Amino acid sequence: MRVLRRFSQVAVFLVFVFLFLNTEYKDNDVLPYAVNVFLRMDPLVAGAAALAGRAVIKLLWPAAVVAGVTLLFGRFFCGWVCPMGAILDFADATIFRKIKRRAKLPANLPRLKYFILFFLAASSLFTLQMVFLFDPISILIRSLTLSVFPGINMAINSLFDALYFTNIHAITKFSEPVFSFLKNHFLAFEQPQFRLAALVGSIFLLIIAAEYFQKRFWCRNLCPLGALLGLLGRFGLTRRRVGDSCISCGKCERDCRMGAIGNDFKAANRSECIECLDCRSICPEDAVHFVGRDKPELLPMDVGRRGVLTSLAVGAVAVPIFLSEGYRKVSDPSLIRPPGALAEDKFLDRCTRCGECMRVCTANGLQPALFEAGLAGLWSPILVPRMGYCEFNCTLCGQVCPTGAIKRLSPHEKRKTKLGLAEFDRSRCIPWKGESNCIVCEEHCPTPEKAIKLREEQVTTLSGEIIKIKRPYVDENLCVGCGICENKCPLTGHPGIKCTSRGESRAQGAELLTTDEG
Amino acid sequence: MNRRNFLKTATIAGAGAVIAPSFMDEAYAFGGPLVSMAKGTPPARITRAAVDALGGMGAFVRKGDVVVVKPNIGWDRNPAQAADTNPDVVTEVIRMCLDAGAGKVKVFDRTCNDARRCYENSGIGPAVESIKDPRVELSFVDERRYRMVDIPAGRLIRRWPIYEDVLNADKFINVPVAKHHSAALLTMGMKNVLGVIGSNRAVLHREINDALPDLNRVVKSHLTIIDATRILVANGPQGGRLQDVRRTKTVIASADVVAADTVAATLFGKTPREVRYLQLAQDAGLGVADINKIRIKKIS
Repeated sequence: MRVLRRFSQVAVFLVFVFLFLNTEYKDNDVLPYAVNVFLRMDPLVAGAAALAGRAVIKLLWPAAVVAGVTLLFGRFFCGWVCPMGAILDFADATIFRKIKRRAKLPANLPRLKYFILFFLAASSLFTLQMVFLFDPISILIRSLTLSVFPGINMAINSLFDALYFTNIHAITKFSEPVFSFLKNHFLAFEQPQFRLAALVGSIFLLIIAAEYFQKRFWCRNLCPLGALLGLLGRFGLTRRRVGDSCISCGKCERDCRMGAIGNDFKAANRSECIECLDCRSICPEDAVHFVGRDKPELLPMDVGRRGVLTSLAVGAVAVPIFLSEGYRKVSDPSLIRPPGALAEDKFLDRCTRCGECMRVCTANGLQPALFEAGLAGLWSPILVPRMGYCEFNCTLCGQVCPTGAIKRLSPHEKRKTKLGLAEFDRSRCIPWKGESNCIVCEEHCPTPEKAIKLREEQVTTLSGEIIKIKRPYVDENLCVGCGICENKCPLTGHPGIKCTSRGESRAQGAELLTTDEG
Repeated sequence: MNRRNFLKTATIAGAGAVIAPSFMDEAYAFGGPLVSMAKGTPPARITRAAVDALGGMGAFVRKGDVVVVKPNIGWDRNPAQAADTNPDVVTEVIRMCLDAGAGKVKVFDRTCNDARRCYENSGIGPAVESIKDPRVELSFVDERRYRMVDIPAGRLIRRWPIYEDVLNADKFINVPVAKHHSAALLTMGMKNVLGVIGSNRAVLHREINDALPDLNRVVKSHLTIIDATRILVANGPQGGRLQDVRRTKTVIASADVVAADTVAATLFGKTPREVRYLQLAQDAGLGVADINKIRIKKIS
């Protein structure tokens, strides 16, 4: 049976990797796979987004299925499906195989995950969605997107570049075909680069490193998704049953990766057991069975009323503090959201910072926010035009968003959606300074009637010479704020044209479009 | 084709003879460079007709030659929007090269939008891939393959990185689409060369009229085939609005890139004198920009 579980973990993980690698433009404007399905079947993400956003999100129906199956069969998800769990089990079987775990951890540490869950539930209820900090699927995809994958990509590229530049035919003859095979199937089309990559990656690393203390340290003690599934699965139909042939050797108790088995080796904590079936496989007397409908031998859930109330209260109190942050008073002009993003509050209610939109962004323009949207907006996607612009005809971010924080737009709607507006910095722009013509922004402007207009003007240069120069202006009715002008501006340092969120389509209040006064 | 052959043919055919690029000097003797201008449909047919009028692809591509065919694949636009070279023109050029015995035909462009989107949506990617011939190599630009090239006679550029495959090729066939461009006025063959250079090419737009002759000194087009099946007359070079597209149903070919561009400019109602880089290119001895000195062979 254990073999079956391992097979499931490996198979699901391979599907996960396949979908991750295909979260990318591959000559198709519509992604052929539901690449975001792992997030959409996450009841924690679904619950928080629905609670905070006060909406039933149809996209998240797979989460209802997982919740339903968990009600019936217990917390199997963690043992059989969860890709984060699979990675931790793999780490145990390899990196930590020889580790002797001596540290005695407090027995009530597993409570922590319930406290985290209750904290998240309370804050979500009062419309502050903080699930992104702790949801394992979001953490995993975010880490892979922002740091692991770019890192692997960088390493492999550097290796093959080094071989390439040896200029030794005997080497490149072999290395180049291998490289192009990797490029076609596994590597990114262009090296992805993200702000905060190392920070996000180190959190993932810490989760793995915690295996040093305990098997599945994260799942046992911290994971709020595990806690939620544990609560749901507590009354499931399958039960661990220990027969009379048990010789009380204690092997199962020592070996249990979740610490779910009681001191008598018989009772098990249903909220902790992830049905990995290891105890069944290793029992020397073949005494352990998992059966349906039987007299439950449940260990009581040991959370404590005080802890529950405290965590709920902290969650509730956190909300007004976060909402009164200064960032919310004056919106940061560089807070440029992806096309189709909901209005800011609704957006943050739903966005789980999974990084799918950043992963799929064709030009690598979507980047994790630091404080642009306040601390509660940490790692949410913003367009950083100097790093990458928004492709005019691309609609992929709306296709991969699991919670509908970014709406799915038709190509036609997308081309009409304003992310913001471009404005010239006349103290930087080459023609505005009177140096010479340039037109690079105008050339790249993608609107069918260009939003950047040129007007030939007579200019007196610093040396007193009178010349004619084509000076660029932004037509704010046409500009969609895609940022390609800022991205391609040939100036190093500050660009001569900059995009801000001013005039964005999703703005809800009154908005006045000013013309760029000449 | 060698000198004797050429002279023989030229003598027989008289002034309207076939002109190969290596015989530019002789060509002048017969009254300037030859530019063919084929009008009609479909695009593939007039492409072939334009090249045939110059003596066929065999006059340019020798057996075993490594040929670079350089279309404009710069933008994420579809063929009807006329921002990229018509895929039927591109594939016909490739087929002619293959028929002439080319050892390898390389096709690529350094794009402005995401390269995958440009290759796919221009139709050029799928069209070239549909030619099932192992000698055809469609690739994205590889950042490692630029080589610094000195331009000793350059007015603006002293040196610039150029794509190695172009430098190493036996023949460079320039296959642009003719479009409006707000800096260069028009973008055709000479401007298409910007797709095979590296580094921050945006800075060249400041002095584009000087930059283009400089670059064309070191990137020599052995044959220029201008796609004017559709031309973009405003909001170029990216377009996107069908009302800016004119169906001129023309393909222009010449061994002289300056002359080809000069003739193409007339389709926009521009006098070549207005396109300053063509005049500067002529001054630099890169070709002929004087429409009266160009022999135009019209085919319909």
